[in-house]
Amino acid sequence: MKRKLVFALMAVLSMMAVIAVSAQQKPVTIVHWYWADNPAYSAQMQKIATDFNATNGKGITVVAQEYPWDGGAYSETLFRAVMGGGGPDTSSFKLTSTPLFAANNLLVNLDDFLAKWKDKDKIEPSLYDTMRKASGTKSVYVMPWNTQVLYVYYRPSLFKKAGVTVPKTYAEFLEACKKLTMDTNGDGKIDVYGFGMRGAKGGQEPWGSFIWARGGNFDDLTTPQAIAGMQDFIDLYKNGYAPPTAPMDGFNEIIANFKSGKTAMTIHHIGSSIGMVDTFGDDVDAFAFPGGVGRWTSMGDTENIILKSSKNKEAAFEWLAYLATGKGQEAWCVTTGNVPVSKDVQQLPIFQNNRFMKVSIEGAPYAGIFPILDTTTEWISTIWPNTVAAALAGKMSAADAMKQLQKGLWGK
Amino acid sequence: MHKKKFNPWPYLLIAPALITIFAVVFFPVLNAVLMSFQSYDLRRPSQIRFTGLANYAAAMHDSLFWQALLKTAIWVVVGVGFQFVFGFMLALLLNRKFWGRGVVRSISLIPWVTPGVLIGLMWRWIFDGNYGVLNDLLMRLGLIHDKIPFLAQQSTAFPSVILTIIWQGIPFFALMLLAGLQGIPEELYDAANVDGANAFQRFFLITVPSLKNTIFVTTLLRIIWVANSVDVIFNMTEGGPAYSTQTLSVYVFNKGNTLNLGYASTMAILLALALALVAVPYLKMLFKAQEESK
Amino acid sequence: MTNRQRSHKRRFPRTARFLRALPGHILLAAMLIFLLFPFYWTFVTSIKPQRELYGSTVTYWPSKPTFESYSKLFSEYNFIKPMLNSLLVASVTTVVSLTVSLLAAYAFSRYRFKGRKFFMTMFLTNNMFPTVLLLIPLFAIMRRVGILYTPSALILSYTTFTIPFSVWLLNGYLDDLPMSLEEAAMVDGANRAQAFLKIILPMLIPCVVATGAYVFMTAWNEYTFAVMFTNESNRTIPVALKNFIGQLGVEWGMLTAGGIITIIPVCIMFFFAQKRLVEGLTAGAVKG
Repeated sequence: MKRKLVFALMAVLSMMAVIAVSAQQKPVTIVHWYWADNPAYSAQMQKIATDFNATNGKGITVVAQEYPWDGGAYSETLFRAVMGGGGPDTSSFKLTSTPLFAANNLLVNLDDFLAKWKDKDKIEPSLYDTMRKASGTKSVYVMPWNTQVLYVYYRPSLFKKAGVTVPKTYAEFLEACKKLTMDTNGDGKIDVYGFGMRGAKGGQEPWGSFIWARGGNFDDLTTPQAIAGMQDFIDLYKNGYAPPTAPMDGFNEIIANFKSGKTAMTIHHIGSSIGMVDTFGDDVDAFAFPGGVGRWTSMGDTENIILKSSKNKEAAFEWLAYLATGKGQEAWCVTTGNVPVSKDVQQLPIFQNNRFMKVSIEGAPYAGIFPILDTTTEWISTIWPNTVAAALAGKMSAADAMKQLQKGLWGK
Repeated sequence: MHKKKFNPWPYLLIAPALITIFAVVFFPVLNAVLMSFQSYDLRRPSQIRFTGLANYAAAMHDSLFWQALLKTAIWVVVGVGFQFVFGFMLALLLNRKFWGRGVVRSISLIPWVTPGVLIGLMWRWIFDGNYGVLNDLLMRLGLIHDKIPFLAQQSTAFPSVILTIIWQGIPFFALMLLAGLQGIPEELYDAANVDGANAFQRFFLITVPSLKNTIFVTTLLRIIWVANSVDVIFNMTEGGPAYSTQTLSVYVFNKGNTLNLGYASTMAILLALALALVAVPYLKMLFKAQEESK
Repeated sequence: MTNRQRSHKRRFPRTARFLRALPGHILLAAMLIFLLFPFYWTFVTSIKPQRELYGSTVTYWPSKPTFESYSKLFSEYNFIKPMLNSLLVASVTTVVSLTVSLLAAYAFSRYRFKGRKFFMTMFLTNNMFPTVLLLIPLFAIMRRVGILYTPSALILSYTTFTIPFSVWLLNGYLDDLPMSLEEAAMVDGANRAQAFLKIILPMLIPCVVATGAYVFMTAWNEYTFAVMFTNESNRTIPVALKNFIGQLGVEWGMLTAGGIITIIPVCIMFFFAQKRLVEGLTAGAVKG
């Protein structure tokens, strides 16, 4: 009897040991795809993966593979690979692609993982809500990683020269665009433009602020308020307060124009602040896009996902958690200057003492995203830039342009 | 008349080429053709079903489709036309003997050697309305007084991308025709010289007829190629501003990238049909000429 | 040197010859400026400090040239790797395509057989379909065959798209070559294969070189397949370059330096290949 018991006990113990060993040490490889916005980010991502591999203690090895951002076609490259039966375990992601991936049933539902996760509450609940909304379900399919809030960069020295103070209202902002458009060297040609307008892809984000400032919103783009906002946008260009190249100006151009002193204000997020300070030192600052009737600014986002095809979802979640609230979060946000999603990381002095981070946080309550529909990607990449270019060129009235934009986004 | 014996050789000779092509692209292409008869939009996978000719009917009513088709015609005619003329000139110039010919021949290929990723961006940078070197050059020469936002206005964007594709394609013709020039027997020129033919006569009476097939083939291939090319336009303007540089292939690419594959396939097939309209008379002439030469 | 030029030499003294050639030289110079200026501009951009790129005045030579991007390219990026990958893929693609295409082109040019026109037309239409619509099924095929993320995947897909064009090009050249030489050889007792190898091939070499250059460049510059069918271990140049364009703009220095570094070896390769461009004629002339 006693022998039997000892024997059984030993059997149970040894089985437990086997299970524990296999759970802890069975080596697992997670392939992670990401894009890098510049070489420093690329190096940082590799370092984060290396650190994770060294410290996770569960035998997880992350292989981080870089893919080109390719003007947003990163998402399609990922999609095609997954649809073709391949692709990684985890990947960096943009919220706008959620409908595409969700409709094809490619994403892992994270609800169960989140329920068990000890760090769940380190992330603002509203962020989870945004993720749920994007998938059109009650579940979270995308893991928050970091965000960026758009605000207005300005040059204090040019403000002084034009006799302008930081605008507190939308009307003051429009007035500032006008006053800041100057001929500084007296040759009869404008050499500083008030507003660095982004008319190419991606321009819908700053543009949205104009629509809301007049009291419009994205649910119906054809309201008189929304059209008035569009009219303001067009007038800035038509009156010459934005560079003539604006219809094709993308990120590169608006930043170059601002850095070369060609524009006095431009709208972007904290990601470009490091370069701005490099160029101007103290002669650059920022303010949140001011409110008029309404107030809105765009929240940029980057998330991570687990693909359904992954064979090691537990390990994959470990890695995403490391990126969201662990050391990976801190390391990435310090390098990129992006707004952390982890409340702990937000409290770090390096973020608290940054003037651009302050403005980002100030704008956060008004920050939102575009409606995420299955039409959104196409609307952003072709319909918005081409329609707005026609409106800026005077080939289309503000009302007609808004009608077209409404049709492209909502289908009617 | 006796029945000709079956000769297996030509079939054996083309077999490797045929098998490679069949093995790789047969199914994908068939798949794409089938997609054109479906509402095949991967953004709405639950709604994928056969819709017959609905996509084709939609294209017929799509004003952007017609505009893109017209743009494609201009893009091909002007683009390939100038590529050919300048390429032929360059081939003739490089066929002469002069000091450093080898170096000049290889560096004149640079536009073709330049990675496609770089071409669009470099030219975009050259055409840039604020920092572009083209504006600076034109201003220094006193030809313009204000900088022109070449790619930002509809009137100049399309000519700008066409100039770029011309630049990129000249070396192709130059190289291909230069190779063809080597096969012309000199006795023909010697005979013409004896007859007192001038340079123009020699060119039109000897050079062009001797290169007939090469000219045929290279222009035909180039037409297909340029009609389908995407990367130059996409990297320069993405089809904008206001769709002013959106050729059919760029339209297809945009639709394909937003994964509306059904409609994209439909337009791709329509583009192929339009190209067939160009190719058929070409092929007829070519086959006829081949029959005569035998 | 061609006989045609030889005959000029006989007829004109040196200076007169130069004057005769002068308009041609001027024209050539003008075309070269047009063709090469963007290359020059790429180079200048690669050695300009970022700050000078977006300066208020355009500078034609940087005030402080820097070769930092070049050293970074090799130290931090190991740019040699994508270059070697591209070289491998492009070379194998070229050899395979040329071999397969020569056989087919010879058949199309020298035989008349049933289905000939059909097959020729089919080859032509092969390239009319945009690759962006074929990516998902192609990816699935490559994965199933087990060559995904190896150079073979690229070589296979590139040859598929270069063979049809090469067949057509070579067919065009073959049709332009006079049949008489070959027939003479065959009358002399050579079989078809001997006549092809001894007579046609030497004369065709310039055309093979030109077609090879086309194939090589296509494989060297392709991006859409490359990004799907490779991963970090076998990335080719276009993908490596594209990685320099992120959401936060273009890394001009790295991108242009990378461009220059890829252009130069190809030009050098072509410098040696182009000597062959004139050999075909001499070979033919000896026999003729």
